[in-house]
Amino acid sequence: MKRHRDVAAAPVRSPSETWRTISELVVATLERSPDIQRAEAEDAMAAAEPAGLALIAGGHLDRHPITLIAGTVDCTIGTVTGTRAFDVDENLNPVPGAGTATEFAVHLPTPEPHDRLVRRVADLHPRLSSEQPGAPVQEASARSGPIIDLAALERLRD
Amino acid sequence: MTSTYTAAHTYTRTHTATFLTGAVMGAVSDILARLGIDTNRLYSNWARDESAIKAWIEEGSLKQVVLECLSPAGKLVTAFEFDVAYTTGSGAEFRASQARMARFHNKIASVPAGTTYRLVCTFNGWHSNQPGWSTTQRSSTAGLSSISFGTLGRAPDATASMRYLR
Repeated sequence: MKRHRDVAAAPVRSPSETWRTISELVVATLERSPDIQRAEAEDAMAAAEPAGLALIAGGHLDRHPITLIAGTVDCTIGTVTGTRAFDVDENLNPVPGAGTATEFAVHLPTPEPHDRLVRRVADLHPRLSSEQPGAPVQEASARSGPIIDLAALERLRD
Repeated sequence: MTSTYTAAHTYTRTHTATFLTGAVMGAVSDILARLGIDTNRLYSNWARDESAIKAWIEEGSLKQVVLECLSPAGKLVTAFEFDVAYTTGSGAEFRASQARMARFHNKIASVPAGTTYRLVCTFNGWHSNQPGWSTTQRSSTAGLSSISFGTLGRAPDATASMRYLR
């Protein structure tokens, strides 16, 4: 199930405070899994911090959220900057679904002009990615073949 | 200090300082990325610099943040001046011109390989001391021409505008 969380950025929070809030949300979510160490999640978010700061301060995360994939968690996390930040209905509780996760990935968006920075940062930690997350449902469909059996249709026509 | 506006929220000078600091730091970050200048120092010092600029806007002392881009020989190649103007009754909105800023990037000329940067702040009289910041002189901008970007960020108690010198 796809979810989305909005985090209030400036003027409610500075870019540093906003990144800390996003990191805490990600770490608290991943901590639900007995197979994921808190330190590993913290390390990944610490490695991503330069990209996070650039994306938040420039307002890029308002339009291009990061995506957390872990177990059944498929959650985008974005920011709201400006007057609307005061009206954000924030939910900073752990995202449900990470309890059975054995691994995780944090996908960082690559908007210009920070695409190079994001790619460089993503290379620093195996849990970070600068690629868009694959859609699990579509992948499953692809593996199980087309929904319509064209060969069977051909046989019916014969 | 609390400003009074007939809006659904109470905005403080801290909100204005937080917002304009983010707008300026975001513009600096975008510009350096666009120019291909090494930003490791920017991000490792981010919290310190963000805190200092925010404190100076909050106390009303910050006049200008200047992003100076320096050639490997130490000569000023280009500069971006962020002026902070303190106002009253400038509305109850927090607005940043990020889309316009993205388009403005097309006007920014490239810089020589190995160009570095520094941030310089100027003040309206007294200002508090902030960790990691020391007194310096601005580089001479003689010979550079100026392009005004206009307002970069607007908040209830202050605005920030940008000028590009090349």
